[in-house]
Amino acid sequence: MIALAMDAIIAIGLVWLALRTVRGANVFSAIIMFIVFGLIMSLAWARLHAPDLALAEAAIGAGITGALLLVTWRRLQVLEGSVPQVGAETRSLWLTLPTGLAAALLIAGLGWVALSLPAEPATAGELAWQRLPEMGVSNPVTGVLLGFRAYDTLLEMGVLLAAWLGAQVVASEHRPGALPGPAHEEVPLVGALLSLVVPISLLVAVYLLQAGGSAPGGAFQGGAVLAAGGVLLCLTGRLEAADQASLIERVVLILGLAVFSGVGLVMLPLGEPMLAMPGVWAIYLIETALLLSIALTLVLLFAAAPGLRRRL
Amino acid sequence: MMDWLLPLTGIVLLLNLILGMLRVYRGPTAADRMLAALLFGSTTVAVLLVFAEWMDVPALRDVALLFVMLAAIISVAFVGLPESDEGNP
Repeated sequence: MIALAMDAIIAIGLVWLALRTVRGANVFSAIIMFIVFGLIMSLAWARLHAPDLALAEAAIGAGITGALLLVTWRRLQVLEGSVPQVGAETRSLWLTLPTGLAAALLIAGLGWVALSLPAEPATAGELAWQRLPEMGVSNPVTGVLLGFRAYDTLLEMGVLLAAWLGAQVVASEHRPGALPGPAHEEVPLVGALLSLVVPISLLVAVYLLQAGGSAPGGAFQGGAVLAAGGVLLCLTGRLEAADQASLIERVVLILGLAVFSGVGLVMLPLGEPMLAMPGVWAIYLIETALLLSIALTLVLLFAAAPGLRRRL
Repeated sequence: MMDWLLPLTGIVLLLNLILGMLRVYRGPTAADRMLAALLFGSTTVAVLLVFAEWMDVPALRDVALLFVMLAAIISVAFVGLPESDEGNP
């Protein structure tokens, strides 16, 4: 009973927040609503016994995306002087009513189908679960990501690299320029905060990577946490955009894809299929490479720059 | 006998969140909304810790740890915003 009430509060809160995010006339308030939506969403994942997703939602949804939206808002203001107010125009009732009704029917239909399906584990999941001990990792999510659908994970890294390349093309057309400097003099607290949070982000990233073998965690969450530390350094002006990527940055950007492909080919001459893992060490090697690539890609996407350098 | 205590704590914390949403919704200044959002972060951490104990999912403590760390980023991103907008409703 209490559990049901709790889930109801979370569900209603989510829908209300989503509405306010989309319908809000004030852009800043919509951004805050979106950040809060990320918080409640991770609570929903927690209630669904999916701590992996809660971790990812916390790292990406609430942390980096929130900072990215706030900085975008800041850039808009520097560009235009004021942020345009949206959503003020009235919409025709003839348009909104049927659209809303159709959407509600669609959701109701989907929900009905989902509820009437038998709650049995599917064949693929059952097989993966049975053969998990062969992988050498006890966290089923890591096992599936690197063992049973390694090809998908490899291509996801390709997508991340392609996203960065695409952002570079756009950025070279419309230079967003450097991040606008803080409006205030830097307070002494910023230095103290950085010296505390940045090492902790490194520590937590390594911890999540290591925990990924037996508990929720792994390269994606760890990479996002490490990127959060880098984003913090960008926000406080410790790192600034460079004109082009340095050699180290280029190497780290492709490291994940290269190491993953390389290890995937190792077992090929022995008659094993492509991307067969030679052992647990390979999983940790790949995860480490993925973590570094993901973190750097995210920071560079955040800074909209081809490379970063220390501000002197 | 005490198994209702943890879920009840969770409910009270969630109701706190709902009340906090009103502050985010009404504002009036950007700083009010931001502070309410940061308060949400702390309450979410508390809810996650309660869930971790009640649902027996220890990994949720890691999620709480992450939220504590990431709140710093949001607040720094906000503090860097230009001052002129604080008055904007």
